[in-house]
Amino acid sequence: MRVRRILSGAVGVMALASVTVFGVTTSSAHVAKVAAAQCKASIAIEAPFATGPATQLGLEQLHFAQLAVAMANKANGTSITLGKDDTGLNPSLATTRTNSIIASSAVAAVGPAGSQEVEAVGPLYAKAGMAFVSGSATLPALATSGANKTFFRVVPDDDIQGPNDANYIIKHKLAPAGSTILIVDDQEAYSEGLVAVMTPILKAAGFTVNHQSYNGTDTGATLQSDLSALATSQVNSSTHLVIVPWQSAGNAQQFGQTLQQQGKTVTLFGTDGTDSPGQFVIPGTYVSNFGPDISTSKSAVDKAIVKGIKKYGPYGAFGVPTWEATTVVMNAISSVCKAGKTPSRSNVLAAVRKTNISATQSAMGVPIKFKADGDLVAKAGYLFHISSKGTYVEISDK
Amino acid sequence: MHIFIQTLVTGIVTGCLYALIALGYSMVYGVLKLLNFAHGDLYMVGAFIGYFAIQWFGGAAALIIPVPLLVIFMMLVAGLGVGALGVAIERFAYRPLRNAPRIAPLITALGVSFILEDSVLLLFGGFTRNYNAPAFLPFTESIHIDGVPIDSVQIIVVCVSLAMMVGLRELVNRTLFGKSMRAVASDREAAEMLGINVDRTIAMTFFIGSAMAGVAGVMSGLAFGQISNIIGFLAGLKAFTAAVVGGIGSIPGAMIGGLFIGLCESFSSSYVSSQYSDLIVFGILIATMLVRPQGVFGQPPLQKV
Repeated sequence: MRVRRILSGAVGVMALASVTVFGVTTSSAHVAKVAAAQCKASIAIEAPFATGPATQLGLEQLHFAQLAVAMANKANGTSITLGKDDTGLNPSLATTRTNSIIASSAVAAVGPAGSQEVEAVGPLYAKAGMAFVSGSATLPALATSGANKTFFRVVPDDDIQGPNDANYIIKHKLAPAGSTILIVDDQEAYSEGLVAVMTPILKAAGFTVNHQSYNGTDTGATLQSDLSALATSQVNSSTHLVIVPWQSAGNAQQFGQTLQQQGKTVTLFGTDGTDSPGQFVIPGTYVSNFGPDISTSKSAVDKAIVKGIKKYGPYGAFGVPTWEATTVVMNAISSVCKAGKTPSRSNVLAAVRKTNISATQSAMGVPIKFKADGDLVAKAGYLFHISSKGTYVEISDK
Repeated sequence: MHIFIQTLVTGIVTGCLYALIALGYSMVYGVLKLLNFAHGDLYMVGAFIGYFAIQWFGGAAALIIPVPLLVIFMMLVAGLGVGALGVAIERFAYRPLRNAPRIAPLITALGVSFILEDSVLLLFGGFTRNYNAPAFLPFTESIHIDGVPIDSVQIIVVCVSLAMMVGLRELVNRTLFGKSMRAVASDREAAEMLGINVDRTIAMTFFIGSAMAGVAGVMSGLAFGQISNIIGFLAGLKAFTAAVVGGIGSIPGAMIGGLFIGLCESFSSSYVSSQYSDLIVFGILIATMLVRPQGVFGQPPLQKV
């Protein structure tokens, strides 16, 4: 009788303990699950995917952002939607779109793509207390001016890319010593910024730098007149290298073809704005970018991206940073939800500031962590050489 | 000398295209006293038709028909297609406003221009597309003048443009239709009273002018590569300038004006700066309006006393 009582008591205690543990565990898992399922928010992307001179690149950015949202929602169990806003790479249109985004329920934004656009919309986002993370705006002053307090970027600025490119040109003798290097800007902030950074480095190395400009928004016959005039009057026997830090890969291609048509044999060097394997394919050209070629990467993250992006068609290296930028925002929202809070602009902004993604988890190949001004702590740069078949081959940028 | 010849070649090629578009402006102004600001966008539509013709036959790098046949097909289809579009625009957008104050069809023309641009944007997206003509018309096939290469595309553009201009001049001066067109341009009411079918004459004028713009669009794709839904706007403005400088309503004026504007643009880009070429071209427009508003070949308006 006494043994039976003891046994009954032990079973009862065990049952009670099991129920308690099970209940607590279930409750925690349940709460987390409920929290994740209730983690609903909306974000927006600003990119030139429908109009303007860079629709090819803008569409790539959009697709990578859509993929990032889908992947993060699945991994985190969240329900975050992505609104799309075309900016045409135009500051005035970007301003209109930004005002719409700010008036909506979006808690954060990805983009815009162009530095001139960030200059226009940065103060608006700052006033709204809303984080916006760009995967391609590289003008150094965007972070240092103090006007864009909620701006972040997952790419290094032109103070990294410009010197990298100039030093590569010098080290690998892309132009004979003492020759003339022609550098042409398209009258946009991004292009002029790179010219300003690269020119002194090239001059210090003994090159004669011929700086010219053309209107990057010209089209058709007028554009051809511009490019033909540049090729005719500025590319002569002492010019062996032409640097084209433009935002339009199509224009770079047209310029390359014009040079070929005029029988001018020079090496072209483009920057990230011209990185478009579907548009700029002049053999022998060098193209620098802030995004890697992940198509052959063995990293688990990259493989997942490559698998997911296939349904959107051919892509280059331009969209990868936008995937990263979107992931930063998605992770920030998810962390807010996991802390039991409802995502808002202020807590998402705070979470973005605390972003700390390891290199192995990052598609960019470097850790993603921001300085106080929104700049990326790590330095990254990639270089491609266009083969005789027009394909982009990643090479060392050292 | 090398720079001069190269600049001259570029200017002539560009000028020929501006001339073809300007002819449409002049012809329509002649018969309707209407500045058809949608005309530049007809050129854009022609460029797209040519592009899709290339894709239909396998793409630039893998054509399934001989190149001469492709080029002829592109120009024919673009000419007929854009011509038909021009007739439709006249019928539904301009004819109902024929007796309205002149500002009404002018505003309508601007509206048609935006409709064409945005329709192409909606249907085909904002991507710039590239004819990639060097894939089937290589630069290596060229003649040289003082070391300056003139490739087959440039030769095609100049020859076809000249042929069309000469053909148009013969049509206007030597055919019954041409006579009808000149009569309608001179006095529409009197022409009607004399038994000329004014509606049909105006429709045919639109067809011919639009067809020429369509062919110009194809040639611009071959010569310049890139096309998009916005290429028509600036080209239309430059062609309008050419028509005004040459004498709006004057066919020889449109031809000479087009070549003149093309050469001005090319030489100012090469010898001054490409940043100022638009300034110079539109400066010429303003100067012409101030000094000789009827244009170089235009007739001053008659004053009844």
